[in-house]
Amino acid sequence: MEPVQLAAILMGAALLASMVSVKVGVSVALIELAFGIGLGNVFNLNPDQSWLVLIASFASVVLTFLAGAEVDPDDFRERLGVSVTIGVASFAGPFVVATLVAVGPLGWTTKAALIAGTALSTTSLAVVYAVLVETGLNTVRVGKLIMSACFVTDMCTVIALSAIFIKPTIWFPVFIVASVGVIVLLPKLAPWFFRGFGDRVIEPEIKLVFAILLALMVLGDEAKSQAVLPAFVLGLVMSRHYQQHREEQRRLRVVAFAFLTPFFFLRGGMNVSLGAVFANLGVLAVLAASKLVPKLGLVLPLARRYAPEHAPFMTLLMSTGLTFGTISALYGLTAHIIDRTQFSLLVTVVVLSAIVPTAIAQRWFSPDVEAERAGDARTTPTPSPHAPPRVPAPEAARS
Amino acid sequence: MSPYQFTNVLVAIDGSDDADKALDCALSICSSLDAQLTVLGIEGKLPAYAASRGEVDEVKREKDEFFARVLSEAQQTATDRGVTVRTDLVPGHSADVIIHYAAAHAHDLIVVAHHAHIFGDVLVGSTADRVAHHAPCPVMVVR
Repeated sequence: MEPVQLAAILMGAALLASMVSVKVGVSVALIELAFGIGLGNVFNLNPDQSWLVLIASFASVVLTFLAGAEVDPDDFRERLGVSVTIGVASFAGPFVVATLVAVGPLGWTTKAALIAGTALSTTSLAVVYAVLVETGLNTVRVGKLIMSACFVTDMCTVIALSAIFIKPTIWFPVFIVASVGVIVLLPKLAPWFFRGFGDRVIEPEIKLVFAILLALMVLGDEAKSQAVLPAFVLGLVMSRHYQQHREEQRRLRVVAFAFLTPFFFLRGGMNVSLGAVFANLGVLAVLAASKLVPKLGLVLPLARRYAPEHAPFMTLLMSTGLTFGTISALYGLTAHIIDRTQFSLLVTVVVLSAIVPTAIAQRWFSPDVEAERAGDARTTPTPSPHAPPRVPAPEAARS
Repeated sequence: MSPYQFTNVLVAIDGSDDADKALDCALSICSSLDAQLTVLGIEGKLPAYAASRGEVDEVKREKDEFFARVLSEAQQTATDRGVTVRTDLVPGHSADVIIHYAAAHAHDLIVVAHHAHIFGDVLVGSTADRVAHHAPCPVMVVR
């Protein structure tokens, strides 16, 4: 099939996915994944055309940048100690167990097992965030603690994905220096650049971000490393800038959601072999258990200690996964570390982990937000008159 | 047996034509009984299983803007008809929100629109059905 024909089919699928998403209230990413599975299995479309691999890879880096840019640094700083404890446990448990299970009983190669460990250790901040915002829990203590802990798990995942496959070349120091350079300089450069060139229909500010991310990808490739970690940290250091320039962030999202991320999720779905999944249901169950059991075993005791009334709710939400799990698995497939069967199993577990723990948490363990607000009001100390004022986040419209 | 004395009425709206009918009905009741009206906007579901926090934020922002306009129009309509009104916007699932909100704010009448969602009705029952079954006070369903 000619590239333009495949592009037309995929963009048509992306359009249909967004219409279905609006109607059924399920994220467009999950619908795109499902449509990709349909296109790959029914029509046998080739997911390895070079243009598609490039756009999907770039989309994964942009998604990682956006994930970093969406963190609220003030909220995170307020809960640093507890967040790190829970977030690291949430990452480390499944990472170690899934890696050992894959390399041992399942007989995967060490590298493939590390991809499994990384893909299954994730927590989906976006899935969690939707649940919390929908119920209003994002504004109360327990919700903020969950989001901060999810961020730490995400951070551990991108560090793992970047670190465990490093094969240092002569380019590696260049990659490190360039990464540190843009992370330090961009927040300082951004106000001047955006003031002089921003807010135009030709979007120089989006082009600046894309040029930097693509340059990091080039250097990452040369250094036999990954651009996800610098992209995530770059997003993080830009988060305060985007908090103050919401429209800029919105335009970046528009470009990403309209053109980049559909190809990432469609390509992810196209690589899933339903036949391989149904032929390996036992392996699927073992992989799912290697994610969920350590999450429950390690996060639940910590949640009981730090948020005793909502320990099951917190633990279940920390057991979710979607974007970084898919990114990790697709990286492994693209780099030929895992095969299509292994990829199919990992992505299926990742998608199931987005749906099942969330549904259980919402159905049986969702806290009463009004009671939480009352509890927070009782325990929040009166702010010092000398404390610096916080820049308020945009609030929901209230009449 | 003493007659009902409705003094604190709750109407839930979502910007639909049916919800406008429910609001109109609630205003008529409040106007004739000199009751206070609360107009409750319910933002409904955000994209489940989102891949990016941005997707959730953008849908939430769109809903906030939409409901700010809808509630403002409802407030203006109520003021024009001489009804004392307050408005509120709450996220969540319609029936659950209405039932809990009515109980928490001691409403003595709930007015809701009847929506004909065929699949929803078959699977989980309509919002009006569920509110009628579980509300802590009388419920008026407006067709």
